[in-house]
Amino acid sequence: MRKIFILTFLISIFVNNANAKFSNKNNFQYNKNAIQNQIDQDLEFENYQSTTTVKIHDPYEKINRQIFAINDIFDRYFFEHVAKTYRNTLPNPARRMIRNFLSNISLPISALNSFAQGKVDNGLATFSTFLINSTIGCAGLFNVAQSKGINYKFEDLGQTLGFYNIDQGAFIMLPALGPSTSRDFAGWVVDKAINPFSYNIAEIGGEKQLVNNHFLIATGSLYSIDTRESLIDIIDDIRQDSFDTYATIRFAYLQKRAQEIKK
Amino acid sequence: MKKILKHLAIALIVFYSFSSFAKEDEDLQEARVFIEEIGNKIINIANEKNISDAKIREKIIAEIDRVIDSEWIAKFVLGKNYKNLTEQQKLSFVGLYREFMINTYGPKFKNYNGKKFTVNEVTRQNSFFIAKAEFLPKESDTSIMTDFRVKKRDGKFYVLDFIAEGISLIETQRSEFNATIDKNGVEPFLKNLEAKVKNLKNNKK
Repeated sequence: MRKIFILTFLISIFVNNANAKFSNKNNFQYNKNAIQNQIDQDLEFENYQSTTTVKIHDPYEKINRQIFAINDIFDRYFFEHVAKTYRNTLPNPARRMIRNFLSNISLPISALNSFAQGKVDNGLATFSTFLINSTIGCAGLFNVAQSKGINYKFEDLGQTLGFYNIDQGAFIMLPALGPSTSRDFAGWVVDKAINPFSYNIAEIGGEKQLVNNHFLIATGSLYSIDTRESLIDIIDDIRQDSFDTYATIRFAYLQKRAQEIKK
Repeated sequence: MKKILKHLAIALIVFYSFSSFAKEDEDLQEARVFIEEIGNKIINIANEKNISDAKIREKIIAEIDRVIDSEWIAKFVLGKNYKNLTEQQKLSFVGLYREFMINTYGPKFKNYNGKKFTVNEVTRQNSFFIAKAEFLPKESDTSIMTDFRVKKRDGKFYVLDFIAEGISLIETQRSEFNATIDKNGVEPFLKNLEAKVKNLKNNKK
């Protein structure tokens, strides 16, 4: 029985090998068909595996496009100029310090979301970054933790919900805030509400609000300007190259979020 | 005899396993070298002194044109709509798209005059290779993470996609192009593409 098995195995290897050689060398028709099959396969892109699975669910597209158009006008005539002035007035190191500070105050929530996803290492790295940068890094102005080799990945509640397979829901274009989904927007609201450096409704530290309203307005405004500044080149490119700016931004946003959840 | 056959079988299995692994390693290595060469060549062109910006632009465009499979990408980005085109429209689109790609994205690499380009990892995904790389730009301390989707055809590698910070260029274009065609139809889209190409060619900045 064993002999038969071994012999069959050996024969099958040799036969396959011989067939492959025969096909490669002598059978032009076979090659032609193989190439045609390959072309057909490529054409249908059957073996193309997307980097991420992006689902476009945009039931409010009509109103979303209207909001997008208003946002676009507001941006072209006001916000873009603010962001460009910000870039041209403040030197890069100063802008980096502001960005570091703004990132730092969102780290406790990011750490919490990491733990909620069971990403303990990332949660610890995030919280360590917060502690180090808040103290040695002068209230987060300097990213000392990164220079010590501590790297973290930012996590928010939208990502946490996505991690637990909560559907993204409908794509929504928010006035002034830009693209989102119902899941991400809900996550954003909760993250803001429980952040001790924002509304602090969880009363972390025993206070109803750890920071005053001036701080909230200042950080909120700076965050918007800093984000827009970081997107100057990307938005300029999209406006210049795109055939449908709304569709491009929608897909890019959904893809980016899917990628962040996948990581 | 039984023993000899057994040993022979084992030897054959080991030989075939090793030869397929060796082939896989060879392909991955070739894909890595291919991407490293592109990245470094583009950076070198962008860093070139004593030549005009227009010349740098021209050289980068030529390099991009050499390494991308624009026909494959053109068919991919039109997706379901490609099959509905007439033969004339297909020809026209593939040609226009090539011009659009190289003239739109080629010049952007002028800004990639970074200090460093590295390929961190190359993996196989079906018949494609994904090279994870990073550019370290001049005026920033953060790298731009980029993935390249590569395919080997007739012994030669081609770039099919450029994925910057998780956003795939061709998948975004496919979504955008199809939304435009679904909204306005094929002919207006092709005319728009033609106008864009004309504009891009006139803009030599």
